[in-house]
Amino acid sequence: MTTPSAAIPSLQKSYISVSATYNRRKITNALLLGLTGFLTLITLLPLIWIIGYVIYKGGRYINLEFFTQLPRPMGMPGGGVLHAIEGTLVLTTLGSIFAIPPGVLAGLYVAYHPNTWLGILVRFGTDVLSGVPSIVVGLFGYALIVKQQGHYSALAGGIALAILMVPIIIRTTEEMIKLVPRSLREGSLALGAPEWKTALSVTLPAASNGIITGILLGVARASGETAPLLFTALGNENYEIGRIIKGSIAAHQGPLQILGKILEQPVDSLPLTLWKYAQQPFPERINQAWAVALVLMILVLLTNIVARSWVQYRTRKLLGK
Amino acid sequence: MDIKTTEKEIFIRKPSSESKQPIFSRNGSSNVKNQTKIQVKDLSLYYGTFKALGEINIDIPAHKITAIIGPSGCGKSTLLRSINRMTDLVPGARAEGEIYLDDWNLLSPGADVVEARRRIGMVFQRPNPFPKSIYENVAYGPRLYGIRRGHELDEIVQRSLRQAALWGEVKDKLYQSGLAISGGQQQRLCIARALAVEPEVILMDEPASALDPIATLKIEELMQTLKESYTIVIVTHNMQEAARVSEYTAFLMIESPETRMGTIVEFGKTDQIFTRPKHQQTEDYITGRFG
Amino acid sequence: MLKTIEGKSAEPSLRNRLRFFLHYGDKPWNGLLILMAVLVILLISAIGLLLWRDSGASRAAFGWHFLIPTLDASWNPVFDRYQSWPFIYGTLLTSLASLVIAVPVSISAAVFLAELSPEWLRLPLSWMIELLAAIPSVVYGLWGIFVFLPVVVTPFGQFLGETLVVVPVLGEFFKGPIPVSGSSRLAAGLILAIMIIPTIAAVSRDVFMAIPGSQREASLALGATRWETIWKVLIPYGLSGILGAIILGLGRALGETMAVTMVIGNSIEGSLSLLRPGYTMSSVIANQFAEAVSTLHVEALVEIGLILFVMTLILNIIARLLVWRVARQTPGQVRV
Repeated sequence: MTTPSAAIPSLQKSYISVSATYNRRKITNALLLGLTGFLTLITLLPLIWIIGYVIYKGGRYINLEFFTQLPRPMGMPGGGVLHAIEGTLVLTTLGSIFAIPPGVLAGLYVAYHPNTWLGILVRFGTDVLSGVPSIVVGLFGYALIVKQQGHYSALAGGIALAILMVPIIIRTTEEMIKLVPRSLREGSLALGAPEWKTALSVTLPAASNGIITGILLGVARASGETAPLLFTALGNENYEIGRIIKGSIAAHQGPLQILGKILEQPVDSLPLTLWKYAQQPFPERINQAWAVALVLMILVLLTNIVARSWVQYRTRKLLGK
Repeated sequence: MDIKTTEKEIFIRKPSSESKQPIFSRNGSSNVKNQTKIQVKDLSLYYGTFKALGEINIDIPAHKITAIIGPSGCGKSTLLRSINRMTDLVPGARAEGEIYLDDWNLLSPGADVVEARRRIGMVFQRPNPFPKSIYENVAYGPRLYGIRRGHELDEIVQRSLRQAALWGEVKDKLYQSGLAISGGQQQRLCIARALAVEPEVILMDEPASALDPIATLKIEELMQTLKESYTIVIVTHNMQEAARVSEYTAFLMIESPETRMGTIVEFGKTDQIFTRPKHQQTEDYITGRFG
Repeated sequence: MLKTIEGKSAEPSLRNRLRFFLHYGDKPWNGLLILMAVLVILLISAIGLLLWRDSGASRAAFGWHFLIPTLDASWNPVFDRYQSWPFIYGTLLTSLASLVIAVPVSISAAVFLAELSPEWLRLPLSWMIELLAAIPSVVYGLWGIFVFLPVVVTPFGQFLGETLVVVPVLGEFFKGPIPVSGSSRLAAGLILAIMIIPTIAAVSRDVFMAIPGSQREASLALGATRWETIWKVLIPYGLSGILGAIILGLGRALGETMAVTMVIGNSIEGSLSLLRPGYTMSSVIANQFAEAVSTLHVEALVEIGLILFVMTLILNIIARLLVWRVARQTPGQVRV
């Protein structure tokens, strides 16, 4: 090694002066960190404001009638949103029926084959699909179904919602199945059970809690969507399943036809109703809009909170934390 | 409060350091030899309720290499990191006692951690250069202190890289990524980076454990050069390395399996520790009876 | 008699065929999985294809002129003349405006959550920010119309109109006056900002958390302050991921429909200004599709949908690539 002082240039010279920058650095640090915290708080402001206001405004107009009656003609007080509640139920059920099988199965595929071309492509495609604007999905639903059938229907709406739910279900299924210990699946296979049986009796049940929460999250999203329903389900203020069924039975129609009647009509949903009521000049409708907003928010937020905390809990348990 | 008063109170620094006079002592000036650079007094470190280190007392001499050895898990790294208060980063960590850098207690309530860390540099077990160019890695520290002008920065970068024995190998590729060089070179880059802020002490946490033997040798040679200008403390699990490299050694061990608290069993000149240890435990460890 | 090793009959009777299938139905099972997986990819293509088909007449009639920025834009159902630039402009302007506000706020939140927050606060705070994303778009719109607009947007818009309109180039975008109701592109931009903050913040937070701790240690051990570490080491390190997060947020803003259409005024007035009402691609579709009479009108709207689809598709791909790049160069899950 070279002799110390000779080879090392200007060891004697000190470049670093602490005092020149001391205050500036300290103040900058405190200021900007404080700003960061402040801005973080600001993100919460709208949340609290919206939730608070919706509870305040909507809470006033919720009553039993709200949940059990169809709407009265415009301008008249009273009435409810039964049609929207039932519509939301029908639509999300339909959406789930269409979204769960492909979602879970595709999620299974990606979980088992994460490194194949198809696996990577599907994972990527799922992410992309979840970014497609919901109104575009509505246009697709219109082009695919409404145009062919010549009328708006709950079926078309259900399919549109299903398209929105699938990416969420695939994602959650994949993550939950990855958490199932390999030993479980390998044990079953080692006993001679075929892949499909292993999947259905061992892997899926083990991941079922997580998959169900994924479905719940999908349902939460779907039930809050409006845009895809604008051109598929359209809206229907006279929709009441009880009456439909009674009417069909009276006309001696079979179960398949009853089902058809339920599915093949245009149908309203809570968000759709909210959208329509918000634009109307009648104060009663505006009040009801707030009430619908409250119901919708409770539905969506609660489902979200329950689903997410369940996922957290299960993930912790499975990882042995 | 003007700046100088604040500084006096916080740093208890001698005025000469502020007037850009040499802060290193040249090889040969004897007034710094045989002085204690860092004095650890009754240091106890807690992680929450767990007492990781108990009443540590060592005096780290200036311009020497001090090694901290001991079986794995005894708290060597913890001790090293508490010197430059990197243990503060662990949530729930708490230190009691005193650590004096010259005459400044680093654990006093108002002590400026940022300045403490500048004066006490650290090199980690795995090289961790920033994903920036080699030049920018070394220039990172000085830039924080407001050094912007090209030629001043160039001088510092060159000086630091020379001190780290890396200049010759990288002087033509200063603008390549710091990650594009070998592990041993990356570690020397980290050393250069630490040197660029003009520290007085360099802490090394098993600096060569992730490196191949040739790179390790280079680092050990480097240490001998560096100790002339800096005080070096090294943690190592490799006893031969400690014996080769250091002049003073501290032997750390867990007090008992129940408490898992680290304490200093023995501290003294390396020669003495390795040939005539005063404690049975030390002798057991060195002769390989356990650990 | 044919017998297998286990002594079971191997003759090809129906029962045996069934038994064989039940025990060895793996091929069809795997086939099913693959089919479903492919379905997802097919879906994306199907959407694109159908949109392409159903906009045929419009594309044939207007060609590229449909898209090109022009001062002479018209959207005229009466004369069946359509040009989409006003809507593209509206979408771009409101989305970019939303980014101006959302990016600093989201990144600050991400930095806070990842670097500064005490352990006990991290999860609840993350959740609360994510709850913002769960609120349905129509609820944002309702609150927007009756609360946010009168209380915040109108006064803010008036303020901006008075102060910024004198600035040379920028002033063009603040030529007022803002309508009394507050319905304007500004309103849409502000509400969009609130809606995309959770997206950008969550992804950015994950990016920060994926950065190895050794980088922070290296910086702090050199005597850098926490802010300096964040600003000069962590943000540059995670830059591509953060960029991906921003683009994801932008993609969301582009496609957002209900809240926008409720507060933007839905007017085809020719102004460039943020303070005036306008239209976005998604809001014009939502507004006009159900009542469109002529086929050309419908197809023009579908074409707008197609443009929207392609834009968000490209943005999403870029964003995911950026985020995946950070996720692969550092260990750890980047969840979206």
